Amino acid sequence: MRSVMLSLLIVAVVWLCCPGTGLAVTLEEQAQLLASELRCPVCQNLSVGDSPSEMANQMRELVREKLKNGENPEQIRAYFVSRYGEWILLAPKRQGFNWVAWLLPFGAILGGVGVIGFVVRRSVSRSRAPGDAQLPPLDPRYASRLQAELKEWGQ
Amino acid sequence: MISTLGRFTMVLALGIALYGAIVSILGVRRRKPALIESGRGAVFAVFGLATFAVLLMEAALVGRDFSIQYVARNASLGTPLLYTVIALWGALEGSILLWIWILALMSLLAVVIEGRRNREAIPYATAVLLSISAFFLFLAAFPANPFAAIFPPPADGRGPNPLLQNHPLMAIHPPCLYAGYVGWSVPYAFAMAALMTGRLGEEWIRTVRRWSIVAWGFLTVGVILGGWWSYEVLGWGGYWAWDPVENASLLPWLTGTAFLHSIMIQERRKMLKVWNLALIITTFALTIFGTFLTRSGILSSVHAFSESTIGPMFLAFIGVILLVSFGLLVYRSDGLKAEGDLDSLVSRETAFLMNNLLLLGFAFAVFLGTLFPLISEAVRGVKVSVGEPFFNKVNVPIGLVLIFLMAIGPLIAWRRASLDSLRRNFSLPLLLAFLGTGVSSILGVRGLYPLLAFSLAMFAAATVIQEFARGVRARRQISGEGYLTALSNLTKRSRRRYGGLIVHLGVVLVVIGITASTVFRLEKEVSLKRGESMHLGRYQVRFDDLTAWQEAHRFVVQGTFTVLNANRQVAEMRPAKRFYPSEQQPIGTVDVRSTPREDLYLILSSFTQDGASATLKVLIRPLVMWIWIGGAVMALGALVAIWPDRRVLVAEPVKERVAWQPGRS
Repeated sequence: MRSVMLSLLIVAVVWLCCPGTGLAVTLEEQAQLLASELRCPVCQNLSVGDSPSEMANQMRELVREKLKNGENPEQIRAYFVSRYGEWILLAPKRQGFNWVAWLLPFGAILGGVGVIGFVVRRSVSRSRAPGDAQLPPLDPRYASRLQAELKEWGQ
Repeated sequence: MISTLGRFTMVLALGIALYGAIVSILGVRRRKPALIESGRGAVFAVFGLATFAVLLMEAALVGRDFSIQYVARNASLGTPLLYTVIALWGALEGSILLWIWILALMSLLAVVIEGRRNREAIPYATAVLLSISAFFLFLAAFPANPFAAIFPPPADGRGPNPLLQNHPLMAIHPPCLYAGYVGWSVPYAFAMAALMTGRLGEEWIRTVRRWSIVAWGFLTVGVILGGWWSYEVLGWGGYWAWDPVENASLLPWLTGTAFLHSIMIQERRKMLKVWNLALIITTFALTIFGTFLTRSGILSSVHAFSESTIGPMFLAFIGVILLVSFGLLVYRSDGLKAEGDLDSLVSRETAFLMNNLLLLGFAFAVFLGTLFPLISEAVRGVKVSVGEPFFNKVNVPIGLVLIFLMAIGPLIAWRRASLDSLRRNFSLPLLLAFLGTGVSSILGVRGLYPLLAFSLAMFAAATVIQEFARGVRARRQISGEGYLTALSNLTKRSRRRYGGLIVHLGVVLVVIGITASTVFRLEKEVSLKRGESMHLGRYQVRFDDLTAWQEAHRFVVQGTFTVLNANRQVAEMRPAKRFYPSEQQPIGTVDVRSTPREDLYLILSSFTQDGASATLKVLIRPLVMWIWIGGAVMALGALVAIWPDRRVLVAEPVKERVAWQPGRS
């Protein structure tokens, strides 16, 4: 059980640390990926990549230009954050208080796995316990009645 | 006239609902059947009044009675009839009216259908249902009165929000979703009745399982139709934006799905009693929370069609629900001890427990992500956004594990799965999944998540198909039936099980559609002069013409594009922009050409005044259609599961000799 938890933890750490831009190769792909991580400032909950608005058009152009000028994705993100604030990023930066949003769900699930593991093990060992530990002793009044009814039923 | 009559109807219904709730409880406490009967009558009366109110509102809408504020805001002389009729759910006040009507209908059906079987529980359930009705009737009678008058009446109304009169899906998406939300009231009411009567065995579970599947089915269809509507109307090429309101509809779906699975453990093994009650309470509270999110405007959303000040009342209502329900749960906790024990770590019980945990973990991640902007602002004073990149990163891995559990859950044995049975059930599907992964890798699927998604989907599909195939073969061997007869008889014998498996197949289709349309999407935006064309994927798109005309309630500019595939014309597509007098921004109308293989999606971004050139955004999204088909399959599965069984009505089924039983290998 502990080894399972540990390996889950390692997977989670690796997963969180690997950069999201790993698969984008060409400049256009990188631009699209970056645009999908930025919030369109004039829309309701759409990314710059998806939004049909004029503002998003201009921002997409800007991203392409910056990439052509040799800026890396991190610099471009930083530029937009300095202009619009953290709000412009559609995924909160992995730092400080924001870790709550990133890690709490997994913490809760891991904790749940632990609880389920514990409960199941206890329950399993209880059901395997020898003797009639599961059943309380029969009340003598019922026992005699049961006997009588069984006899009647058998006839 | 309508204003006064409507308001009076709402107030009267509120009074009757409150009266009915009180006499139902009094009647059962003091053993006075007449009072219980009166409470039952109240359910009928509330339904009658709600129906009357809906008809009254429709009369006002269709009759264009602009002296009613709601009509003046949501209808106009130029609005087509269909969109006038469905303007009933175009804004807050009307939506509440529809909500009331659906709730009244469900309450009525619950009282009539369950009345004979649950004499003891029914008065309590009636009281709970009428109390919920009373809350919404209070909203409709006072702060969100749909019948409020306006003086002087305007000559013409404003008409519905253009986005809401752009596609006929608007006629079915909201009612389905509301039925899905409201439907959970019935299981909740019977759960509360079980807590109040102290009859905490499996009776309430048996009563509510069919109601839960009905609610779940409507919610599923409502959510998928919402995605479809968004895809066809909002014009950005996507169907799910992880928008707060979309998330709000997903939350009760997730907890409800968890509930549908964990009640099976209680039915079979008499365990998880507290857990099931907590799940149904949470699911019901989340349906109210969803309405609260939609209507309060505390989070910016694409659904901000209607905002108002009734938010705090919803919060108070949720608080009361949680307090009373969980209070009762704690009070009754003595009667909720598990009566069984688990036998092994490798069993269906454990698979279900993990499924519940992950569904709830998924829901928690969505809940936290949705509210995190508020939390961050409160704690740090900094606004942050939580959108698609966050949810994709956090929820996709959880979802993948869920698909894995979905594949093994139905086939792993109850109590204890032997190594032999595991081998027998899973070796073929595993083999197919590995083969499938190889094939999709050769076809060009790259990346861990997409590959995992495809292989797990194939694994799950293979287990379901193998299960059907085995059952059919067994039946054919015994009775010599034809393939189709055997399939239909097999399904009839165990509707819930096979209905559930069909639902799983639908989920697989949805997963494949979502993965393919996300991973393989292509898009390109270019400006074209007349006669010029652009290439994307297999297609060549030529800009032919741009036309403009005036309609009764809007001005339309439409481009004509010819789509060629290998120099052969396959379609002529007409994306447009519509200009409504009441709106600053034009509303884009996309043109989508759907085929089972892929969707071609055209958006007219802009055009020059003389019509000589146009900017066009073209998207190719593979397999999108399978998401909607998957949704239909899920609905079909739910329908199979709830279809009434004639045998049970006649008598207890006679035990038959069965050569092979599903899930007991």
